[in-house]
Amino acid sequence: MTPDNSPFLELSGVSKRYGGVRALENVDFACRRGSIHAVLGENGAGKSTLIKIIAGVVQPDEGIMRLAGQPVRFRDPLAANAAGIVCIFQELSLMPDLSVADNIGISNPPRTRLGLIDKRAQRRRTEELLARVGCEDVNPLEQVKNLPLSRRQMVEIAKALGRGPRLLILDEATSALTSSDVLKVYDILKKLGEEGLSLLYISHRMHEIEALADTCSVFRNGRHIETFPAGTRGPDEIVQLMIGREMAHVYPPKPAGRGAVPPVLEVQDLRWGDRLNGVSLKVGKGEIVGLGGLDGQGQRELQLALFGVLSGLSGTILVDGKPVTLSSPAQAKHHSIGMALIPEDRKTEGLMLPMSIADNIGMAAMGSLTSGVFVDPAKERAAIQRMVDKLKIKVGDVADPVATLSGGNQQKVVIAKWLLTEPRIILLNDPTRGIDVGTKQELYQLLRDLADAGASILFYTTDYDELIGCCDRVLILYDGRIVRELQGDEIDEKAIVATSLNLPTTAETPFSAEAAP
Amino acid sequence: MATGSLPKPASGWSLSPEDKPILIAGAFILVILAIGTAYTLATQGTASFLSPVYLLQQLQVGAFLGIVAAGAMLVILLGHIDLSIPWTLTAGAMLGSAIGGPYAIPVGLAVGMVVGLVNGLGVAYLRVPSMIFTLGVNAVMRGFMVMLTGGYAPQSTATPLMSYLATGHVLGIPMPLIVWAVLSVLVVLLLQRTSVGRYIYAIGNRERAAYLSGINTRMVIILAFIISGACSALAGVLLAGYSSKAYQGMGDPYLLPAIAAVVIGGTNILGGRGRYLGTVVGTILIVLLTSVLSVMQMPEAGRQIIYGLVIILMLLVYGRQRGVIA
Repeated sequence: MTPDNSPFLELSGVSKRYGGVRALENVDFACRRGSIHAVLGENGAGKSTLIKIIAGVVQPDEGIMRLAGQPVRFRDPLAANAAGIVCIFQELSLMPDLSVADNIGISNPPRTRLGLIDKRAQRRRTEELLARVGCEDVNPLEQVKNLPLSRRQMVEIAKALGRGPRLLILDEATSALTSSDVLKVYDILKKLGEEGLSLLYISHRMHEIEALADTCSVFRNGRHIETFPAGTRGPDEIVQLMIGREMAHVYPPKPAGRGAVPPVLEVQDLRWGDRLNGVSLKVGKGEIVGLGGLDGQGQRELQLALFGVLSGLSGTILVDGKPVTLSSPAQAKHHSIGMALIPEDRKTEGLMLPMSIADNIGMAAMGSLTSGVFVDPAKERAAIQRMVDKLKIKVGDVADPVATLSGGNQQKVVIAKWLLTEPRIILLNDPTRGIDVGTKQELYQLLRDLADAGASILFYTTDYDELIGCCDRVLILYDGRIVRELQGDEIDEKAIVATSLNLPTTAETPFSAEAAP
Repeated sequence: MATGSLPKPASGWSLSPEDKPILIAGAFILVILAIGTAYTLATQGTASFLSPVYLLQQLQVGAFLGIVAAGAMLVILLGHIDLSIPWTLTAGAMLGSAIGGPYAIPVGLAVGMVVGLVNGLGVAYLRVPSMIFTLGVNAVMRGFMVMLTGGYAPQSTATPLMSYLATGHVLGIPMPLIVWAVLSVLVVLLLQRTSVGRYIYAIGNRERAAYLSGINTRMVIILAFIISGACSALAGVLLAGYSSKAYQGMGDPYLLPAIAAVVIGGTNILGGRGRYLGTVVGTILIVLLTSVLSVMQMPEAGRQIIYGLVIILMLLVYGRQRGVIA
């Protein structure tokens, strides 16, 4: 066996251009066997291109890639797969209407002697793989669409393990995971590392990298800036390497306590099926209220319910002290209510990807952009330009499809769309998922500015740092009800994690309770 | 990449991916005319395909198809389809001419709109796939029409106004062409200059995102189906005027050519993308292709084969371009 420190994967002098844009420039990069290697950088730093080259999705223009000392050149992802390189991408690649077992066996199902798919063997293999990622509670025959997002991501990891990887690439693979799942994933990844598997790990969550990686490489503007052993640099230093400039405070300062503010949005005993079991809350003018807790405890349903998407609700919703009935987003949007929802999945719920940036930004506020029955082009252009400037959206031409933007800028378009309606109540559902540090910081500042301007914000996030850094109050949900409200100095990671997990219910662990549909 | 440079005005003639199918279809029209002219020059020594009389006559025939295609396009842009076109057209023509007098045309159009409303309600509220629902509605309409006439050919004849709209001329321009042009202007305004037009594209791209943007998606879907029904009925009323009476099955030859015209014009059959000009070009292409093939005395079988192959071929060409963009 070769010693641990021989590089398994080695890139030297690799460059890649897309048209006139240099995505990677003369990159030297190495990844050891058994190493958990974090790749850091803002969106557009070249991380995705690096991964695509390693995984055979694109070919480098220059440079050599070596695998275990041998020069290799992958024509397509299949060739990379065959060499033991497996990717878990940010976008889930599971088919929602197929069962977990069918998904895991999709590319290479076990076959019977007749060449038919051996369902029993496939199921057995799925059970083994699920056990390996600590998801014994997932039924292999369950359809993927019935699983919560965090479970789907675990299935994705199990699927990747089923391909027998020697180098596993995780691209934002933990972005949809809850804290408890993340801990499980840490254990799995560490165990895999000990078994000699190399791991390339991309995440925007700094504390995950601290907890997990043994080596870090920072990329910026297509160049490999530095590689160093984890723990030798503080988070501030790392962030500075990533953005290439001094980092101010990540979170804007919170205003001092203003005493009681009249509630703009009030919810009393809201119930929906078995997902919402009597939620009561108040959000005051100018307040940012965080929704915390494990994933799938009703946070999403609460926001959809408020936005008029769910039918069959019971309970009372009051806006400005008056009870309202909201049965569609169109009603919630109406200026008498003034509600906006930044949905969970910007690609399928927030944006019309093939349509232009301008069309997307204007979509929710068309009513204010018309004169008579016709759209007023001058008004529309001015409004869109105002939003592009306000949110500093990096666009070449607002007539380009929104799909051409980076993730962070796409999210800004979703937010711009809603700001144009001048909302008074803003619901956000995990808006910073898969977004780079610089853009996150801008969004935090934006939220604070909006709140200072009088908006009431209900902010659900799976990242505890954001609850701590951004929110005036934090409501922790468990099993469809609010179990605790944290305020001021009470809001810290310990309190959040403790309340999310240690619940005075039964001896049942929250993990298995969470998986129940 | 400057932050937020102002866009070029949308009216500028820059070549977008959506223009390419239109240009290709336009070029193909010229090819068809060239082949047809070469044939007539060789056999008769005349270039009859290039005479204004012939071209106007073709446009007059094409107007009926163009009107149907305009409505079909709105529904296709939503990502749906209206298969009830044939018997909506027939019903509009038959009931309109059965009523007769000054109410003939309004009643005909109203019939189309009611059928469209039913289609829209079924698709938007009952969430039945439009392919199935409109197919069912088409069969039901057919049953109603047969019931109405007891299985015999209807006795009613077209009113003078219907005949005038179908066969009259103003300043040498056939009336149906004028009706088609007016309708086209309305559709272009709807698609490009109104919120509803924007919503139609949005729903075709991603209905869920449109709904979560606070768009009343159901109303937009219903409206599109109502317009489609009205267009079919309008074509039916004009056709009844053209042949001076309504008859069973008069709408049957219009369904596939209308969808083909929309798709050849570059509208994505799955919705969300497409320009109205393309539908006009697609309509002209189909009308000319049919006409040239029949003048060339191509046997029916050969005509069908060529017709089908052209549709497939054009879509293959478009599909390849789209693949690069996607």
